[in-house]
Amino acid sequence: MTRWFEDIVLGEVYPLGSHTFDADEIVRFATLYDPQYFHLDAEAARHSHFGGLVASGWHTVSVGHRLMVDTLFAEEERLRAMGLEPGVSGPSPGVNSMDFKVPVRPGDTVSFELVVTDKRASNSIPGWGLLFNRLTALNQRGELVYRADLVGFSKRRDYTMPFKLRLLQALGTIPLLGPLLKRRA
Amino acid sequence: MTNPVTHDRRHFEDLAVGEVITLGQTRVTKAMIIAFATEFDPFPFHLDEAAAKASLLGGLASSGWQTGALSLRLLVDAFLSKIASAGGLGFSDLKWKNPVMVDDTIGGTVTIVDLRRSAGHPQWGIVTLDFDVRNQKGAPVLTMRLANLVDTRNPGAPA
Repeated sequence: MTRWFEDIVLGEVYPLGSHTFDADEIVRFATLYDPQYFHLDAEAARHSHFGGLVASGWHTVSVGHRLMVDTLFAEEERLRAMGLEPGVSGPSPGVNSMDFKVPVRPGDTVSFELVVTDKRASNSIPGWGLLFNRLTALNQRGELVYRADLVGFSKRRDYTMPFKLRLLQALGTIPLLGPLLKRRA
Repeated sequence: MTNPVTHDRRHFEDLAVGEVITLGQTRVTKAMIIAFATEFDPFPFHLDEAAAKASLLGGLASSGWQTGALSLRLLVDAFLSKIASAGGLGFSDLKWKNPVMVDDTIGGTVTIVDLRRSAGHPQWGIVTLDFDVRNQKGAPVLTMRLANLVDTRNPGAPA
């Protein structure tokens, strides 16, 4: 989230936009990452229970992620334009669950939205918080394409580092002693 | 009703819990990382070395989604393209344990941890697979549990 951890409202729905999948990009992704015949070859795919070419679930998820990143960047710009300092989002530690429901076929338009369902301070990384995000993807008929429960890092604005950690960090910058301390941590 | 693409492959009945699939290996180049990130994950820490050094990742690293996609590719090559796979149902407990840095080589194992017939669809079974993907130093980079549909050879047999 481009908002600070403290400013994120639970339950608020963020629409992320939509994407129309064409056969070429479905095949291009599958060639690199998921070369199963029903993602790769429209003719062979007719023999599968899908009855035709379908996108790799991992492709759909990657597109959903891209739209989320675009939405974060747009929000960041909007905040800057208002003279506000945007928050900082970090890498994700993982995904709790991902359920693929209805396949994506060439020509399908998938819309994505995100809801932050929970948040808490990170135990492992001082100054950061964890966001629990639910991502929902629907096709043009309103059918559920996938639902994901994602975890993400978000920087805390109001965080002050405890004295012990500040001391450790300062000691860590001293040559010879620093690397030794880091190795022990 | 036989599927000419998959009829010679292993079916649900041919799989056993405890089977360990050894994945091949893939080297993750800077060009691969930037190509994926440009299209799907354009955070500066996946595109730019200086920004990556300043981030929690500590250097240019692949998008976690790319690490997952590459892990899937390794499973397709070693296993899914050799069974009568009918597509993925999803996954759970995906954890990115360590970032995959430029020129790291990833590989590992996938273990069949569960096999059950689909309750509503006698033509399918569900294979549950645990991934343990590691880098060239043996450090874990990704774990997840994937569920995939597999055609049964005898849909009429009691489940």
